[in-house]
Amino acid sequence: MGFSKEPAVHSAQKRALWVTLAAIVISPSLMRAQSGHTVTVDQATMQALLKRIDQLEVRVQQLEAAQHVPAPQVTVAALQDAKVEARPPLSVAPPTHGPSPQAAQEHEPDTGERAESERMDVSKTLLRIRGFGDVNFHGDNYHPVGGQGDKTAFTLGQLNLFVTSDISDKFKFLGEIVFEAGPDNIYGVSRGTENTFGVDVERYLLTYSHNEYFNLSAGRYHTAIGYYNTAFHHSTWLQTTTGRPLLFEFEDRGGILPIHNIGLEAYGRIPSGSLGLHYVAEVGNGRESRSPLNEEPVQNVVDDSNGKAVNFELFARPIKIPGLQVGFSAYHDKLVPETELLPVGETILAAHAVYSTTNFEWLNEALVVQHTPEGGHTYQTPGWYSQISRRFGQYRPYFRYQYINASPNEPIFPDIGLRSGPSAGIRYDASESVALKLQYDYTSMRNQPAVQGLTGQVGFTF
Amino acid sequence: MIRYPAIIGVILATATLIEPLPESRVQAARPKEGLAIVVNRDNPIENLSIAELRTIFLGERSHWPNGRRITLVMMEPGQPERNAVLQDVCRLSESDLRRRYLQGLLTGEVLVSPKTLASPVGVRKFVFNVPGAIGYLRPEDVDDSVKVVRIDGHLPADLEYPLKIEERSER
Repeated sequence: MGFSKEPAVHSAQKRALWVTLAAIVISPSLMRAQSGHTVTVDQATMQALLKRIDQLEVRVQQLEAAQHVPAPQVTVAALQDAKVEARPPLSVAPPTHGPSPQAAQEHEPDTGERAESERMDVSKTLLRIRGFGDVNFHGDNYHPVGGQGDKTAFTLGQLNLFVTSDISDKFKFLGEIVFEAGPDNIYGVSRGTENTFGVDVERYLLTYSHNEYFNLSAGRYHTAIGYYNTAFHHSTWLQTTTGRPLLFEFEDRGGILPIHNIGLEAYGRIPSGSLGLHYVAEVGNGRESRSPLNEEPVQNVVDDSNGKAVNFELFARPIKIPGLQVGFSAYHDKLVPETELLPVGETILAAHAVYSTTNFEWLNEALVVQHTPEGGHTYQTPGWYSQISRRFGQYRPYFRYQYINASPNEPIFPDIGLRSGPSAGIRYDASESVALKLQYDYTSMRNQPAVQGLTGQVGFTF
Repeated sequence: MIRYPAIIGVILATATLIEPLPESRVQAARPKEGLAIVVNRDNPIENLSIAELRTIFLGERSHWPNGRRITLVMMEPGQPERNAVLQDVCRLSESDLRRRYLQGLLTGEVLVSPKTLASPVGVRKFVFNVPGAIGYLRPEDVDDSVKVVRIDGHLPADLEYPLKIEERSER
């Protein structure tokens, strides 16, 4: 019943509204009349105003049309004609509305400017972050001198935050920030406490991408020695096995190669048709050598000599054999260790032949590290590994054999000696982003008992 | 008297052992049409080999010959057009493609991941607006706002065209 009064109220409100509106419209005229002013509009002014209104209407239509996307209707016959590309315009019905392609192309610079302004918008992040991690259970019978043997432990692997950012159309940033627990092991010398976490900026690169044939990066990069070092970086999940080959272990995990370097890196394709040639040329600080060898091996800030390390890699990816990569690299630096009276020349020659497809993987790499004290004998440390795996559904069994043989008198890493042996394991992809691995390792060493180890790992990306 | 039940039993047993045909094989296969590879009209490229196309779709090539950065646009996972490209060009499963791109980004060889769009109209608009874009469309979704590239010298209507897709069912 109460609702029946509402129409009456509405009509009273409407009447009041009309009266108010009339008063507002009439009052200026009355006021002008009272003040004695009269407004007259001549025919020419009226025409000009009408013309202006027409112009504005056209402009509004143009703006409205510009907001619509081109939705031209196409006839299937257009593409059924094999010579369709010979005729510049396809037999297409004209767009029902919207700008012509040419008109829209005129707006492309606007798109670029918008993208650029979005990049500079501090309220938006340009970063894309992807993570990698792994957790392990490991046991072995290794008895270090003065230490305990036969230990098992759950171990946290590297937590890797992989960061990229498109700074502009030509510039890009890439970084790997790794949280890692445990002491460093540099040429057999342990440094740091066992269970604390540390943070390493493993890669830190600004890249200018000019075209297919020339890209230039500045910062901290993974040296392009061989294949493995630049294929998997700090992602355990991407690797088939639980860990890297001995040859390519990181510097702070007992590795013998200058895995990281600070400097400039140029890379790209070489015009070579179906051969698919690529090059990488690098110049950087090289590895630390003047300080005691258990110091930080990567010269992030200060170089201990004016001489720079140079590296060049050439590899082919034949377009007709997808998955095949064959290449070689040559690295040279001059080390000035405190333990040596004279500088030591360092040359690393590496070659690789890799065939990696979705279901099959066969990695083969060989290298030799040469250290030559000035005017002295050259110490050669050869090493190689071969790894093969085949995927069966979610399972991927694998096998690897590896070998390193360094002289006991080697001036830079006297602790390595001879190490060789097989590893066998299986990887199970529990989901698209999680892999479970179980691996057995047997490593024989010169003048030491062989070490057997078993590792279970869950590696993941997130 | 015993023979007939035995024969029926053998037939039934045989029938249960025969694996039922997949639905796609039971149904009459729909006619196929070429899946057009489209680029921006300003792109001077006219022809690509299927091997070159594969390197582009796997992110192994980053720039066009004219220096423009390649921007790949794909339709969302599960779309028949995307499945055709995965099968005939990339020769990878969906998860393998994702893994491949992740590794490419990690190594720095892939500059940007493919742009993913939901509809052919979206793909066409994207290719129309981005000078270095490349994507794929059914012939009926192509108009003169984009340019169709020959694959191994063939256009989608040619019998020898290497990239085929079943025609839309509603047609």
